[in-house]
Amino acid sequence: MDNPTLPIPISHISGRYLLFSIEAVTYLRREHNICGVLTGTLPQASQQNVFLGLPLQLMPEEARVLVDKGIACIIDEAKAQTSMISLMEEDRRRYKRELEAQGHHVTRLLADRKNKRKEEALKKIAENKAKKSAKADAESEAAASSAIPAEEESAIVDVFADDSASRSSTPTSAPQEILGVTPPTSYPPLPNPTTSSDLVLSKPEVPLSYPLFAHLHSRGYFLSPGLRFGCQYVAYPGDPLRFHSHFLVVSAEYDQQIDLMDIVNGGRLGTGVKKGFLLGGPQKSREEAEIERTESVVTYSIEWAGM
Amino acid sequence: MEVDQESLHASKAEATQVETDLSDETQDFRLLERLSLLTDTSSSSLPKRGEKDFEPNPTVYQADILAASRQAMHNALSHPRMHPPKTHALGFYAPDGPKPPPGVELDHRGHGVSSNCCVCVPNPKGVVFKTIGQGDRWNRIWLLPEEALYLLERGSLDIRWPSSADEHVAGGSDLESDLSIPMSLQAAYACFLGQSGLTLERYSVYSSLRRLGYAVVRASGWDDSPAARAPDRRVDGYTQPQLRGAGLAGMFSMLFNWMHDPKSTASTAAGPLVGTGIHRNYAHIYQKLAIIPWYDPTTVPDRDPLDTDAPFRVVFHIYKPSTAIKKSALPPPDYRIAVVNTREQTTLPTLSQLGALLESTPLDPPKGEKMDRILSLRLRQGYRNVILAVVDQGVASYLRISDVAFGKEKIYQNKGPPSGSKNQKNFKSKKR
Repeated sequence: MDNPTLPIPISHISGRYLLFSIEAVTYLRREHNICGVLTGTLPQASQQNVFLGLPLQLMPEEARVLVDKGIACIIDEAKAQTSMISLMEEDRRRYKRELEAQGHHVTRLLADRKNKRKEEALKKIAENKAKKSAKADAESEAAASSAIPAEEESAIVDVFADDSASRSSTPTSAPQEILGVTPPTSYPPLPNPTTSSDLVLSKPEVPLSYPLFAHLHSRGYFLSPGLRFGCQYVAYPGDPLRFHSHFLVVSAEYDQQIDLMDIVNGGRLGTGVKKGFLLGGPQKSREEAEIERTESVVTYSIEWAGM
Repeated sequence: MEVDQESLHASKAEATQVETDLSDETQDFRLLERLSLLTDTSSSSLPKRGEKDFEPNPTVYQADILAASRQAMHNALSHPRMHPPKTHALGFYAPDGPKPPPGVELDHRGHGVSSNCCVCVPNPKGVVFKTIGQGDRWNRIWLLPEEALYLLERGSLDIRWPSSADEHVAGGSDLESDLSIPMSLQAAYACFLGQSGLTLERYSVYSSLRRLGYAVVRASGWDDSPAARAPDRRVDGYTQPQLRGAGLAGMFSMLFNWMHDPKSTASTAAGPLVGTGIHRNYAHIYQKLAIIPWYDPTTVPDRDPLDTDAPFRVVFHIYKPSTAIKKSALPPPDYRIAVVNTREQTTLPTLSQLGALLESTPLDPPKGEKMDRILSLRLRQGYRNVILAVVDQGVASYLRISDVAFGKEKIYQNKGPPSGSKNQKNFKSKKR
């Protein structure tokens, strides 16, 4: 898997931070422990909420960490998209041809696979007929309809994952039936927005809990929004794809009065879902610079002793 | 989580889908691969949740599984949005709102669609348009920003832009010479979010309910600019009509009760609470003991939906998939929903905010044989109800809030068919 060019543009749309490029999403997850929350509908399974797709929504804290590290920058996406109007006629035509080529490619792949599956199914049926067993017959049909070779799946997908490859391919003569394609991002045809200074926005505004977020992130934790467990963040020791979370994270200022009941609640809830309740915050006051506050973070883990 | 998983293993797949909300967890996308994707669009059951490990260890085995999971996720997310020619629905982006077809002058009747619409579909195809969009006088369908975005996102609509001239809106124009290009998902988000009050939180709620099959339409409380609010008539339901039957009707009923209660013995401040008269049954004594004023949701007048505090106002009307809908004449909704962003609204609503929100919904008292029979169901149903969608950075929770009238349930009047000690027991358990 190749890495995307840095800095990664994060789309700032109506106050939220979104990612649309699959390369950026997998790269940030793999290299920088940033997961975000998938919020979009998957076109291949559009009537369910268990698996969601692009765009990926980033918390302002996540966007800020990335900007501070120089990995990403914030782009005023609405403004960037307006330059679509001034796109040259030639560029538009070329882009349309590219999309057509992509659609054509997918059509061919789909047709190939259909034929292959048909052949396989026919072969199986023939085999089963030889066995002359009605029971086995039914099973094979079920198997044939569910079996998809994994290689083919990734082959199709890669055409779209790798923009540069499909761009370089010469557009073939337009076939009769072309699949229309909705591209995930607008780059291309638009030029990389990170190079034009009037599109890049300043660092994201972050809440007071940011130092604790940055501290835990720097220690290798994966953090996700905490609504599900009634806390600020949920901290995972590794990629949430594979690991259970360890901590329910709540931030507080060092001189802040904390209601004892909140600690009892957090401790009870955390123990109830087999997680620790992590209370933490910077020792430096809120007037200090974020970076110094982040360095002064202290964390406490609270668990129900069960005496 | 462990508990969760045990129950998952213990029971059957069907049962667990009810018990554990799969969407609450980060999913292993390898499971999605097992569903036959590209070709099989028929309903396939959702896969079971995969096993997770407690913490990372340096084994190759674990690294391999993680890499496979990530690869599966990568593949699933890069699945293209394709439009086969047969079902290809074309839309045109009209950032300035609905326009008549070219060559037609707009007369006094207008175009018949909301001015917030911004995408025109000249030749709507497919079932999705049964509950989405508004038809104009020229048989074209216009889409609101959230509808256009949702359809594009699920791969059901190909939106073309930028269309500088009106002829694209007319549709059927020669696509070869047409210079507009397919709108990308990114461009769609950039164009549609922020338009006419559409926030990402509202869109998340809209699309997640749509994905589940509900029909979702904007409610009158959608526009939360202060100008949209009704300026006066701020009657606080929790300070005025608290006593049951307060006002003229209440006076009459009090008088009526007094005349028809020969054993009435007005309790005095000094005397015993139940008075000094003779009491022939318990009901009377309980009636006397009921001195705490209570609030009756049925006596509160309905409130204008705009006379509520944003974000605690109904922004969507929800229809169950089973409800038959005619777009031109919508039936009363099955649910009403308010959307709250946790980053902007960090506290619970105040009682007056919540009261106003509930009063802006119509009376929905418990009815039906089952409700009449079972007290707990009655209490749970309440007299007015609303759903709060709480969204934290893309993660949504739905809470149902209902206005329960405990005061209306006269436990002491309950004389169920079976009498005696058994009945007494029922009383107690119900009351808790």
